Formats: sequence, structure tokens, C-alpha cells
Amino acid sequence: MANKRVAIIASSGGLETAYKVLNIATAAAALEAEVGIFFTFEGLSIIHNHSEQMLQLKPENAGLAEGFKKANVPTIAQLLEIAKETGVRMIACQMTVDVMGLDKEDFIDGIELGGAATYLDYAFDAEVTLNF
Amino acid sequence: MTTVIQTNHVVMCEGMACPMPVVKTKKGMEEIQSGEVLEVRATDKGSVADLQSWSSRTGHQYIGLKEKDGVFHHYLRKASEHETKNEMKFPHVISNAELAEKMSTSEKIHVLDVREPAEYSFERIPGAISIPMSELEEKITQLQTDQQYYVVCKSGNRSDRVCQLLDERGFSKVKNVVPGMSGWLGATERDE
Repeated sequence: MANKRVAIIASSGGLETAYKVLNIATAAAALEAEVGIFFTFEGLSIIHNHSEQMLQLKPENAGLAEGFKKANVPTIAQLLEIAKETGVRMIACQMTVDVMGLDKEDFIDGIELGGAATYLDYAFDAEVTLNF
Repeated sequence: MTTVIQTNHVVMCEGMACPMPVVKTKKGMEEIQSGEVLEVRATDKGSVADLQSWSSRTGHQYIGLKEKDGVFHHYLRKASEHETKNEMKFPHVISNAELAEKMSTSEKIHVLDVREPAEYSFERIPGAISIPMSELEEKITQLQTDQQYYVVCKSGNRSDRVCQLLDERGFSKVKNVVPGMSGWLGATERDE
């Protein structure tokens, strides 16, 4: 069976988005798909060195914090680790990184920088594309 | 009575939420050899649907599920290359229908099931003897060379190899059941 390819755009911030993106990405990798995520605008906070402080639940979702704990949901750091281990490609959008005055050093190890064409070149051959 | 099912490796995902059960299952599969059986223990209700989807997508065999004290025990068998590629070589075969016919005429039939214990536990031909292919060498003394055996597995490949082996050891009356349990329509039994 030829491997499937999944291309994801993460363009929003918040803890909710981080989970949506990373759950789908790590599950897809477990299903032996090739997975790439393009992080842009607020989505960059997911791979930022200080993501733990930056990723918060929306005020209206504050009540979910308890549920997250109870369900023993993995942390974002754990999911990022799994993503790296399972070969998920993580691309930070160069343009937004520049606009925000950030550097590659502001992000976790193992990410790459690229532009829209890098993502599109990857996404053209994807069976599944998602935008969060 | 609940029987303990023998497996080659156990992955513990109790208390873990999605997507950890599939992530850990994939890792666990990498620890075992083709044809071996992995047990995944999970409390995530989503794992019931997810691990079946995972198996069908990755080509591994989902053997079955047992629930005990709120824990799901999933049994999966790692796919092996040769099972899909090898051609069957043993000349003496019997079809599922012919075997079912023989069994219905109350002839005393000896069915030898060479699948893994987990597969045997979930579904087998009533009265079948269980000797997994991997244990044939050590358990061959439980069999008699002059006895007629109908050797069965899931799709006829493991049983083909076992028939060849038994033939070399002087068993003259063995037959490979084709295709085997994957197409078996007759009566079955299982462990409770």
C-alpha cells in the first residue's frame, strides 16, 4: 500500500488548536501516513519554545481544563515529541516568522523554515489537507 | 472462566487518551516479529473503533477484543510478507466445504489449528487441537504419524508450511484446509 500524505495548515493559536493539529498529525503518522504541518500566524505559538505559556484555553473553554486532566490527555510537549519521533515534518512560515520579529532559535528543535511554495509543493501530492 | 491469552508483547495504554493508544500500538508492533501477537490494553473508549481502523489501514490482523473490569484488551497479529506472497506448495488439500461435509457425517475428524493462541481463542472449529506453527517442533510428539490430520490456519499459508513439515517427519495423511478460517462457514466455538 502506497503511503498516504496528510498536509495540515495550523494558522490559529490557543490550546484547542494545538490539540486539534497535533492529535490528527500524530494519529496520521501512526497510520503510516507521511505528515507535514505548515505553522503560520498564531499557529506558530504551537512550536514556540514558550508554547506552554502561550497556549491557553479560550476563556469560554476554561471549564475544560478539569476534563483535560481527568482524561489524562497528553501534554503538547509530549505530542510534539511524538510528532518528531514519528517523522512529522514541521514547517514554520518564514514570512510570519519575519513579520513577528522571530528567529529559528525561538522555536523547538527539528522544525524547518519555508514559504508558501514549500507547503504547496508538499500539499499538491497530499490525499488529505486540513486547515486549523 | 476466563482464559489468559498468550501473546508476544503487551502495550499498556490504561488511562491514556487519544491518540496515545494508536501511537503506542504502532510502536509496539515494531517490537514484534511477523506473525506474532500484540495485546493492547486501553481504557479509552475510542480505542475500540480506532484500533480496528488502524489495523485495516496498516494491513495487520485485528484478532479480537475482550473487555474486563473496564479495560479493553485488543489482540492484533503482525502481518507477514510471505503470507501474502508465497504460493502454497503442499499438494494434498481439502476445501472448507469438503471438511465441513466430512464433519457433518460424524466421522471422527482431527483438525489441527496452527494459528496463534489468541486467534484460536476467539474463533475455531469445534474440537480443533491447538498447536501454533511456532511451537510445532516442541509439540510434535503430541501427534501420531499414522493419524489423519486436517491442518488449518487463517488463509492456508501457515498450514501449508506445517503440512510440508509434518510430511517430512513421516506424517503421511495430512491435508491442508483451504482457504481456512478466513472462509469458514461451519460451526465454531470460542473461549468465554
